[in-house]
Amino acid sequence: MKLDFFDVNTFIGRPMNGIFKPAKTGTDLVSEIRSQNISKAITWHILQYECSPEKGNRTLVEEISGHPELYGCWTILPPQTGEIITKDFFRKMKENKIVALNVFPEWHRFILNRISFGEFLDELIERKIPLLLTMDRACLSWELLYGLMKEFPELTCILCDIGIWGVDRFTWPLLEKFPNFYLETSLLSLEEGGLEATVKRFGAERIVFGTGFPVRYPKAAILQLAYADISDEDKEKIASENLEKILQEEKL
Amino acid sequence: MNSLWEKFLEKGSVEDCPVYDMHAHMGTYNRIYFPYGNFDPEITKKRLDRAGIKLLVFCHHWALFSPDIGNSINIEVVRKLPERLRAYCGLNPNYPEIIEKDVGEFEKYRDVFVGFKMLAEYHQIPVSHENYAPAWKYANLKKLPVLLHTWGGSQCNGPEQIRDVAEKYPEARILMGHSCHGEWGKAVRLMKDFPNVYAELCAVVDSRGGLEQFLDEVGSKRIIFGTDWPWFNHHYYIGAVLDSGLSDEDAHNIFHRNAENLLKGLIAN
Ligand SMILES: [Zn+2]
Repeated sequence: MKLDFFDVNTFIGRPMNGIFKPAKTGTDLVSEIRSQNISKAITWHILQYECSPEKGNRTLVEEISGHPELYGCWTILPPQTGEIITKDFFRKMKENKIVALNVFPEWHRFILNRISFGEFLDELIERKIPLLLTMDRACLSWELLYGLMKEFPELTCILCDIGIWGVDRFTWPLLEKFPNFYLETSLLSLEEGGLEATVKRFGAERIVFGTGFPVRYPKAAILQLAYADISDEDKEKIASENLEKILQEEKL
Repeated sequence: MNSLWEKFLEKGSVEDCPVYDMHAHMGTYNRIYFPYGNFDPEITKKRLDRAGIKLLVFCHHWALFSPDIGNSINIEVVRKLPERLRAYCGLNPNYPEIIEKDVGEFEKYRDVFVGFKMLAEYHQIPVSHENYAPAWKYANLKKLPVLLHTWGGSQCNGPEQIRDVAEKYPEARILMGHSCHGEWGKAVRLMKDFPNVYAELCAVVDSRGGLEQFLDEVGSKRIIFGTDWPWFNHHYYIGAVLDSGLSDEDAHNIFHRNAENLLKGLIAN
């Protein structure tokens, strides 16, 4: 069967310490995803993480503009300092085709909880804006994630880069308790039987496709999903429908 | 671009490109939940069929992590699915008397074992340590594959320790499991210096770049396919290899030809 893929996990730009053949620009990313038969991607710029969230967010807007295949993901910081979150934040997101937010708490040195982000995360819940979290990049512990979900049980969270070693013992309790908590596939697909077991236990609705490009190989997650031991309808949900649905429900 | 990608994408497995997984495990494990941790011959066979895995060469977790269980579990499992499974005789250098016994009995289990497996980092004794010597000498004599867990920067199974044993045992076929992970340049150097050293791809292809470097600097004849199954998924790994920009020839070498050569004389065809 031919699946339509919408990739939730890519970044553009060259990391300061180098990486194998990254997509330097939005145009590069478009040619990569086209070559993989991926129709759309959410992306962010590596500047947002390792240089400056403020500068990175602006650079991202320039890189994705003019590319209908690409949607942006901005990085947030605590609202108190006013570096990123300003009064017209959501309007700016809409104007600039930013459909999701990411956050790197420990690396960017703040605490991701109700004290720092109470009203803001309440508003994300109301607007159903997805927050992309990563277990990579030394920025989030399982304890912090559990605490966040406990304080904001309705938050739409997509957990990316879930771990090289299988993490079901960490993720299944979260999937069980929080209905808007999702897993991205670039490492879930790596685990033998991990995707199938998760679908069987929690339904395909809780999983969204991602490649992890440029760190990982897109064809890895593509081939695993194509031959996973689940129904074709479930594959379609994971490949793109679940993410489309999350974005359709978003109110910007 | 290769034509094998289209074929794998269309069918999930390719008849004229069987896959040998030369680095696998078996059984449940304390630190991770494995959906396919419990060995069942029927279910294992189905999983192997899905991706066209012709032969899986493994060392059971329990053989590696419990001297009280040891290699008996490898023997038991292979004999339940002999058409698709072979094992590495697992070695724990903290129990040299068991190593001596297992090496002494190796011939008795030629239907089960095709070589040895060392997990030196976990057992905290370098691969070059004398406690391993009986196995090394035997592997050298019989030209057997020895699968090492290797990792960049390791003091037990890093590039320096591999150099020691590669020099000392030139006829042993040394498979660098994980290819000195992260120190790809040193893995390349070892392969250039020693014709008996091979790169194995488990954990290498979780990120782009390492495999491409091996292909560029050493070539596909020294690269072995392996996945740590049941840790990692066969289609994921096959997709990753096919995304490295390699040729069909290279893919055939990595997926089966190199393994067929290594196993010549060790398994009935
Ligand atoms: Zn292993």
